[in-house]
Amino acid sequence: MNSTILLIEDKTSLSDTLKTLLELHEYNVLLAENGEDGVRQARLSLPQLVISDIYMPVMNGYELLEIFRKDSTLRHIPVLMLTAKTGIEEINKAMKNGAAGYVTKPFLFKNLHATIRKILI
Amino acid sequence: MKPLHSIKVNHLLNGIKAPVLIINPSAMIVEKANEAAIAQLGDSLTGNPLQANPHNDSFTLTSAANGRKQHIDFKSSRVHINRKAYLLAIGQPIEKQHALKLQLLHLEKERSLQEMKANFISMTSHEFRTPLTAIATAVDLLEARLQRDGSMDEFYSRNIGKISHEIFNLNTMLDEILTLSKIVSNNYELNRTPVDIRKVIDYLKYQYFSERKDERTLDVSITGEPRKVLADKDQLSKILTNLIGNAFKYSVKKNPSIKLRYHKHKCVIKVFDYGIGIPARDIPHLFNSFYRGSNVDGIEGTGLGLAIVKTFVEMNRGKIEVSSEENKGTTFTITFRYKDE
Repeated sequence: MNSTILLIEDKTSLSDTLKTLLELHEYNVLLAENGEDGVRQARLSLPQLVISDIYMPVMNGYELLEIFRKDSTLRHIPVLMLTAKTGIEEINKAMKNGAAGYVTKPFLFKNLHATIRKILI
Repeated sequence: MKPLHSIKVNHLLNGIKAPVLIINPSAMIVEKANEAAIAQLGDSLTGNPLQANPHNDSFTLTSAANGRKQHIDFKSSRVHINRKAYLLAIGQPIEKQHALKLQLLHLEKERSLQEMKANFISMTSHEFRTPLTAIATAVDLLEARLQRDGSMDEFYSRNIGKISHEIFNLNTMLDEILTLSKIVSNNYELNRTPVDIRKVIDYLKYQYFSERKDERTLDVSITGEPRKVLADKDQLSKILTNLIGNAFKYSVKKNPSIKLRYHKHKCVIKVFDYGIGIPARDIPHLFNSFYRGSNVDGIEGTGLGLAIVKTFVEMNRGKIEVSSEENKGTTFTITFRYKDE
């Protein structure tokens, strides 16, 4: 069965393209525009992986990680962070908050895909 | 002799360049004024009531000395001279104070402008990455679709490769501008911890310099007893990313290499490329911002990378040197001592 990925990203020009690209690689993809919407959808669909932006309106990626960590139904779902911030502090903060990995923007799809595969094994 | 007229008090008061008054606190009469006060406010001052109402221990007197109206701000405090209580008031021309205030205001404004500039650059470079990412992903999607449909040919592949390459070039430039702006505005916090340089090299090799289309790789050699070096990890990885990136850029025919050698008191990192080399006349300017070698026609770069590298190496108390031979290659040597001296 194909893995389901929930992609949380407020920039639709990116999320639409990335969704199509992931679908070309046989993933089922769900979209959410912010952390709050993402948490709601994750509870409903229990995806195998969440890919989330960090800086989003309503609820950011760090807050999302915290909710996932405290929620027994979401805790086991790995969250991969996509971040435009390349500073080591932001990356450390995400990893400390329980992120399964991170990819910095802009990225090559092959690098993102390699990270996804590593997490989903 | 009245206590205020002793030679000692006179000498003391006249030694002060600022205007000083000694005031009888009950009658509010100016009992004594030093030379500076008399010069600025006139000698009718002494023996007469103070022409001001002190408020919170401060008052202002106006002088017309030298034909120029001037306000002097006095701050007073209680003193005892030979067991008698007085108010000792020391003045400062408002003009000067005002100038200082203006200067302070100007400095504050400048600082907030600097901060604004740094924030602006940080924000815009962050914002620029969003469309860059959307473009990069769209290019990846085009490539994947062409491949799936069996329509990918050399023409598409070459041009898609160009777009993708330039997107990442732009991103590198953004990184460099952001870094330099942080350095210039003094916004770089140094966080030195013991770092295993081998791990940083491994990580960079895997993250940035592997699975290249041209199949070049980074040759790594390590000798000596490995020890940790006190350095800012973020800066160290920026230093090495830049030098290794440069080595890949110029060492087109042969794998670039890095040699890490642990000596007794220091650790030496050498990054080698086997490219066009740097003309001797360019070497003294190599680490200046925006300076680029005279033989780099057509090879992209901002000229900021090595300026940043040098700053970071020095912030971490290291040393950087370069040796080069035209058409043979270039070697950058960085030395870090294990302990600060």
